[in-house]
Amino acid sequence: MGFLVTTLIFLVIGIIASLCTRICCNRGPSTNLFHLTLVITATICCWMMWAIVYLAQMKPLIVPILNEGE
Amino acid sequence: MGECCPPMDLFRSEPMQLVQIIIPIESAHLTVSYLGDLGLLQFKDLNAEKSPFQRTYAAQIKRCAEMARKLRFFKDQMLKANLPSSKSKRQVDVNVDDLEVKLGEFEAELVEINSNSEKLQRSNNELIEYKLVLEKAGEFFHSAQSSAALQQRENESRHIGDESLDTPLLLEQEASTDPSKQVKLGFLTGLVPRGKSLAFERILFRATRGNVFLRQAVVENPVTDPVSGEKVEKNVFVVFYSGERAKNKILKICEAFGANRYSFPEDLGRQAQTINEVSGRISELKTTIDIGLLHQGSLLQTIGEHFENWNLLVRKEKSIYHHLNMLSLDVTKKCLVAEGWSPIFASKQIQDALQRAAFDSNSQVGAIFQVLHTQEAPPTYFRTNKFTSSFQEIVEAYGVAKYQEANPAVYTIVTFPFLFAVMFGDWGHGICLLLATLYLIGRERKLSSQKLGDIMEMAFGGRYVILLMAIFSIYTGLIYNEFFSVPFELFGSSAYACRDLSCRDATTAGLIKVRPTYPFGLDPVWHGSRSELPFLNSLKMKMSILLGVVQMNLGIMISFFNARFFRSGVNVWFQFIPQIIFLNSLFGYLSVLIVMKWWTGSKADLYHVMIYMFLSPTDELGENQLFSGQRTVQLVLLLLAFVSVPWMLFPKPFILKMQHQDRHQGQSYALLENTEESLQVNSNHDAHGHGEFEFSEVFVHQMIHTIEFVLGAVSNTASYLRLWALSLAHSELSSVFYDKVLMLAWGFNNVIILIVGIIVFVCATVGVLLLMETLSAFLHALRLHWVEFQNKFYEGDGYKFYPFSFALLDDEDE
Repeated sequence: MGFLVTTLIFLVIGIIASLCTRICCNRGPSTNLFHLTLVITATICCWMMWAIVYLAQMKPLIVPILNEGE
Repeated sequence: MGECCPPMDLFRSEPMQLVQIIIPIESAHLTVSYLGDLGLLQFKDLNAEKSPFQRTYAAQIKRCAEMARKLRFFKDQMLKANLPSSKSKRQVDVNVDDLEVKLGEFEAELVEINSNSEKLQRSNNELIEYKLVLEKAGEFFHSAQSSAALQQRENESRHIGDESLDTPLLLEQEASTDPSKQVKLGFLTGLVPRGKSLAFERILFRATRGNVFLRQAVVENPVTDPVSGEKVEKNVFVVFYSGERAKNKILKICEAFGANRYSFPEDLGRQAQTINEVSGRISELKTTIDIGLLHQGSLLQTIGEHFENWNLLVRKEKSIYHHLNMLSLDVTKKCLVAEGWSPIFASKQIQDALQRAAFDSNSQVGAIFQVLHTQEAPPTYFRTNKFTSSFQEIVEAYGVAKYQEANPAVYTIVTFPFLFAVMFGDWGHGICLLLATLYLIGRERKLSSQKLGDIMEMAFGGRYVILLMAIFSIYTGLIYNEFFSVPFELFGSSAYACRDLSCRDATTAGLIKVRPTYPFGLDPVWHGSRSELPFLNSLKMKMSILLGVVQMNLGIMISFFNARFFRSGVNVWFQFIPQIIFLNSLFGYLSVLIVMKWWTGSKADLYHVMIYMFLSPTDELGENQLFSGQRTVQLVLLLLAFVSVPWMLFPKPFILKMQHQDRHQGQSYALLENTEESLQVNSNHDAHGHGEFEFSEVFVHQMIHTIEFVLGAVSNTASYLRLWALSLAHSELSSVFYDKVLMLAWGFNNVIILIVGIIVFVCATVGVLLLMETLSAFLHALRLHWVEFQNKFYEGDGYKFYPFSFALLDDEDE
């Protein structure tokens, strides 16, 4: 799975989550917007964290060197 | 956001209005009471210059305070009698005047019962002491008499034996006891506290120059002292003396030592009679006291049944009068004028309440409700629920938002637990935290009604914060691939393998990447490898900077929304734009470089690039070049950063000055055009509005702001490195506990050592990682939000909306 595919998965999860909040607790436009903001912020945070760790391991400058004991 | 989408919940505080309500005096009480039920109006104190005693309803408040005092007295009595105040659900409608009379009656009755029972108790205790004295002293007299009789008999027998040879001399005859010729000795009996008995004896001896005879007998069980009512260990004493003067002295000494004296009949027959009498009276008293206690108990029971209701009623009444005191009396003395803040959405409800009050109090005229226009800053009111309120409290602990300014809590709800989790990434610990908080949430209803300890209270109040923290730390734990510091191959196998079949280089040159990158989170192969720390440090440090730059950009973006909302073009053009340019031309660029370096796998040294971007921007980058044209881009960015500093500093104060002058002129025109009515309102409510414009002050302020931002951009970015440090500390600590405790104990192959090891591991995990680390990560996340995030946009100089509400009343007093 490449970077873009997983990013797409995050996007889809984000969209599904926002649709869920929209359908499950529809409490007027103001509250829906608030819920949408929460979902978007959470999705972006999670995606960023994943993306950073993924990118850092994509073309490693340092490789794992096993310990003598193992 | 204005036109494109609806206003977001919680993003801006509720729009407020200053309302004036003119209430006819006969319906004032009911009106305020209904408004208190509604709880959406914050009364302004219109009598601030008056002392509490000068106000209209001072007498009523005093009455309420008196009633509250009586209720407190009842509560004390109920606590003493161990009667819990049962919460009766039924709401009985009691009139306050009736209640006052009732409370007075109950109090008088209770006081009387108490004083009676106290008297009875006292005489009971006295009788018990008396009985003790009778018994002990009786014993003593009895033994003394029998020994005397024995001696006499001996003497007599000796008389008979020795009569022939040694005729007893007169002297001996006199010395032998002869009751008829005995010197009349007086005696006193009583009880003295055992602690003082030695001193008592010594003083007696000295005062009478040794002319006393004292006998003491220990009373085994502590005796209740009639005077103090406390349990004291005591001795029964009998003191013999001769002469009236000695008696007086002894009496005084007894008094000084708190020794209770009791008369003791000499006659044996009378002694027995007295003991009988005293026992009889004691049992009589006992029944009387029991009946009294029963009566008191039943009285307290009746009070206890209504106590909560009464207490609530009295507190409501007191707060109603307290708020009535804030209203100003109309000149005609027929109306009360109230002013207060209310959210605009509540207008309808308030008017309804006013109408109901006028109707229910049979008032001929209804209350008049009108909205006032004012320059004063309204209070800040967010409509939170049980989930959002704890996050709102986190923000408000720093400062209450200015009226209608953007509320960081909207983003804090997610970013706060997220940043916490970046520092607390371990899905094992996350699950522990989740279970704990699920327990709190599951027993929410039960826990919220009872009183908890300080720490428990805090954990319970923040249960939803902890819930999100736990969920996010499970997520970041999966990313860091740590379960109590143990990695799992949950998302496929590691991307790395040995270079060849023999695997000789694995410990020297290292492994080689053979598969595509590990799809989710850290590759498990890193754990325990020699290059783990260098890799993780580099990764986490860069991650901290990236997250920090994004969050600070979000903060600056919110300042843009604020500027748009308050229609301040100055803030958009001369604050928001230069700020965002400055931050991104330095640290935004750094972030881009970081990502680019990862993307391309370049070996460029980013420290070098960033440092020489300032030191010698025109030099060739050489092998540190990441993309073509980098030098030009850097030059442009550097230029932009330099330009944006004066851009932030200079234009804004001048523009503000111009605007102020314009507005001043405009205002003078506007005043002339206004009608008289609004003029009056203006003169009444013209708060400090736009006073003098001090240019130097504004300029200095702007200068401080600019310097703060420019230096802050550097120091705040550095401050985000705490994410790296804390997360490193957490993972290192947990791996130390795992390796050095659990694995060490496992290695011994001994059940007992293993159990001890597990216990130590659990204690260390719970105590250090789950409690202390949670706390420290929480505090650091808090700081990142309060300082690094909120200083970009948040003024936080508002004041909170405290409506007059009966629902809030309980919490305050309890």
